[in-house]
Amino acid sequence: MKRFLLTLLLLWNVAAHAVTLEQLQQRFASQPVIRANFVQVRTIAGMAQPLVSRGQLLIAQQQGLWWQQNTPFPMTLILDDKRMVQSMSGQPPQVITAESNPQMFQFNHLLRALFQADEKVLKENFTLDFQDKGNENWQLGLTPKAAPLNKIFNRIELQGGAYLNRIQLDDKQGDKTDITLSDTRTEPGHLTDEERARFAPTP
Amino acid sequence: MRSARVLLRHREKNLALVWLTVCLALAIALACLLPRSQLNSSVLALLPQQNLGQAPAEIQQAFMQRLDRQLVWLVSSNADDGDAVAAWWQAQLKALPELKQVSGAMDDLQMQRWGAFAWQNRNGLIDDATRARLQSGGADQADWILAQLFSAFAGVSSQELQHDPLLLVRGAQLALQQNASKMVLHNGWLTVNDPQQRRWYFLHGELDSNAFSIRQSHQLVTALNQLEQQLKTRWPDARLLTRGTVLFSDDASQRAQHDVETLGSATLAGLLLLIWLVFRSLRPLALCALSVAIGAMAGTVATLLCFGELHLTTLVMSLSIVGISADYTLYYLTERMVHGNEASPWQSLQKVRATLLLALATTAIAWLLMLLAPFPGLRQLAVFAASGLSASCLTVICFYPWLVRGLPVRPIPGMVWLARWLAAWRRQRVLMWGLPALVAMYALLGILQLRVDDDIAHLQSAPQQLLAQDRQLAQLTGQQADQTWFVVWGDNPQQTLQRVSELAPALQQARQHRWLEGYRILPLNSLARQQQDLTLLAQAAPTITARLKQAGVTLAEADLHAMPVTPENWLASPLSEGWRLLWLSLPDGRSSVLVPVNGVRDSAALAQLAAQQPGVSWVDRKASYDQLFGFWRTLLSGLLALALLLITLSYVIRLGLKAGLRSALPSWLSLAAALATLGWIGASLNLFALLALILVLGIGINYTLFFSNPRGTPLTSMLAVTLAMMTTLLTLGMLVFSSTSAISSFGVVLCSGIFCAFLLAPLALAPRKRKQS
Repeated sequence: MKRFLLTLLLLWNVAAHAVTLEQLQQRFASQPVIRANFVQVRTIAGMAQPLVSRGQLLIAQQQGLWWQQNTPFPMTLILDDKRMVQSMSGQPPQVITAESNPQMFQFNHLLRALFQADEKVLKENFTLDFQDKGNENWQLGLTPKAAPLNKIFNRIELQGGAYLNRIQLDDKQGDKTDITLSDTRTEPGHLTDEERARFAPTP
Repeated sequence: MRSARVLLRHREKNLALVWLTVCLALAIALACLLPRSQLNSSVLALLPQQNLGQAPAEIQQAFMQRLDRQLVWLVSSNADDGDAVAAWWQAQLKALPELKQVSGAMDDLQMQRWGAFAWQNRNGLIDDATRARLQSGGADQADWILAQLFSAFAGVSSQELQHDPLLLVRGAQLALQQNASKMVLHNGWLTVNDPQQRRWYFLHGELDSNAFSIRQSHQLVTALNQLEQQLKTRWPDARLLTRGTVLFSDDASQRAQHDVETLGSATLAGLLLLIWLVFRSLRPLALCALSVAIGAMAGTVATLLCFGELHLTTLVMSLSIVGISADYTLYYLTERMVHGNEASPWQSLQKVRATLLLALATTAIAWLLMLLAPFPGLRQLAVFAASGLSASCLTVICFYPWLVRGLPVRPIPGMVWLARWLAAWRRQRVLMWGLPALVAMYALLGILQLRVDDDIAHLQSAPQQLLAQDRQLAQLTGQQADQTWFVVWGDNPQQTLQRVSELAPALQQARQHRWLEGYRILPLNSLARQQQDLTLLAQAAPTITARLKQAGVTLAEADLHAMPVTPENWLASPLSEGWRLLWLSLPDGRSSVLVPVNGVRDSAALAQLAAQQPGVSWVDRKASYDQLFGFWRTLLSGLLALALLLITLSYVIRLGLKAGLRSALPSWLSLAAALATLGWIGASLNLFALLALILVLGIGINYTLFFSNPRGTPLTSMLAVTLAMMTTLLTLGMLVFSSTSAISSFGVVLCSGIFCAFLLAPLALAPRKRKQS
């Protein structure tokens, strides 16, 4: 009887296919490297056309986030535990370190937490609203709890299935940012030499 | 003969009257001065004045006072109720009348005012990075604006773009954050997270007045401690860290007061008991008290006249002077007690007067040598001692022949023992050679263990708990209490700001050279610089607009009017929050800016950097104190050696080579033994120990002088010297138990040196007497 109940319980769980935030995080944690293409559409209220940019991104659990915008102009952003480097052609890279600007680093941690669904960091900063959309699809709504985030965002929404597919930022001032990820790859599960070089410290 | 004696009496009477007048004048002066003067307890006041380099003295003083007024708190609790705990603490602090300008959370209104001021003056508040981007003609600024627009997390809104198309406010704000400490804004609070992810809330306040009396400080510290108790009862999980000079100076003054009360009363009781035991009469007690009191009065008046204040340390150390000033009375009274029957009070005085004056002179010179040391506390002490001792001695000479009439004549107490001791010195070669040899061995072995240490930190004996708090606070906030900074000053605010902007590139280079890790420079431009920026802006604006248009972004037209920011309106704005401390204006228009520096690796290079710029000086307080301590220690060592040589020379000339050297031996050995004691107890040699050595020399010579007084008998001298040594040890011995380490090591050196000088003093006497017999 006991065994029967246990089997039933397990079967029911599998059958339901419910995704929880915890499972999601476990799944993301099992993907040490994620590569994807992105399209970012920023709609700024009062501006005639939206600002559209495209490029590639790479998230490595150990190293951090590499964000390469290709159009309309090249710009690279690297985020890791200690620094944020933004480089544009023709300008010296702008380096912000965790020591020099902890305020900015709150955002950095947040950004990486968003991509990796780090529940702990997210829960500290937001009220979470997780919805299972069926068929492995899910949606995570984030409402900021405290200043300064609640002064900036109304809500942040993440959507995905097996991978994270979409991030929507709803700005307090009526502006919206919509990032769509496509062609997500998790192989190889480690960084190539060339990829590793991207995170090398700038002189 | 008779008329001569009457004449003499007449002169003596006049002398007494003159001294009485002086004493009355002193009393009146004291009554006038004392209510208006204050007791200084600031630790900083003890240290040399010239510690802000070449900056004008008024500026140095004003900055020092301001720094002394600051108080900082870090409060933390569970993540959930942290805001409430911090708000409660802020409310309690605001209710304290001793504090003003308590700042904690920045509310929405303040944030709005902050934003409004930054926006209304954006053309005048251009930062270095933006300036560099504008200098390229605007292309770099255009690229930067684009990068901000396209970055999802930069959050540039249409509103911002409308009001500030060149994103100048954003640039300035980013620059400020680059400059900021480890603090993070959380619900309007400046907070910092520790490695355990515990959030600490930052609060700041100022003492309400410049001259904070000891009583006020103590009231405040007591109130703060009570509040902390309440905080911990309400939120058992809460923790609190406090930093402020007032905590340290209150601690120091409480301990000093404790020293004065307990050590002072113990000293006095011991002294009274000793005099009672020797004289078995109340009058000597009263006489002793009189000369000590007149000495203390003269010392206080002289110190107040010279310095306008009394330092607490002076008060504690002056305990030791009480003991020495009693010596004069004791010497005269001993003489009277022994020879009271066969000599008149004036004859007795004549016997001892020369010796008394000589003793006074050597001691006073020893004290006055301390006037050389650039430490206000010691200078006060020197003036106090020299004038106090002189007054005590003059009191004995002018008054006491009139006052000792009828003093009982008694045999010397312990005469047998003293006589045996003296006889032993004359006959026992074992003692004569053995004791000095023993002392020499003790001295040699001790000196071998002696370390020299000029580190000023060893002189501070703040309680561990305060220091630990300070360290933790420094670790969390990244604000070290190192006190290394540049002082920039000018005849007017604009000249000062101009000099600051000239210093900035040099500092950047210094950072590249790794002479320092970081610095905080006032984010305020001179009017001249603002004018230049405006020109830059006007030149760059068309390029920026054109370039952004190419990228498909149309900007509103930028406002290129002058928006001058003067120090006055900047200081009045919320923008200067957290910076105001670094700006100082004197009533005559002179002004100054502090540029705090952290992580100093090459203090000398930074000093040189400052020397190359007009109106800039480099301040590394600890390093300069250490240097100063070392310098004065060396100088005083030299002076001391010179004094020893001169004394030896004078003995040799007076007594011949062999006897002269023998007479000088007690001085040499007592100094060596005093040094050795420091080594034996593991203390280190520093300036304070040297100062004590000077006194050992001065007082030690007194003993030799008492012995070699040709008119005195060895036994009386022995009694007087024994009494003098006992009173001195009673008073100086108390200093050993002082809770302030500088004072206690001062006491150790004095006591061991003086005891040794007493032990060996008969060495000066023995051979001469033996020759006579």
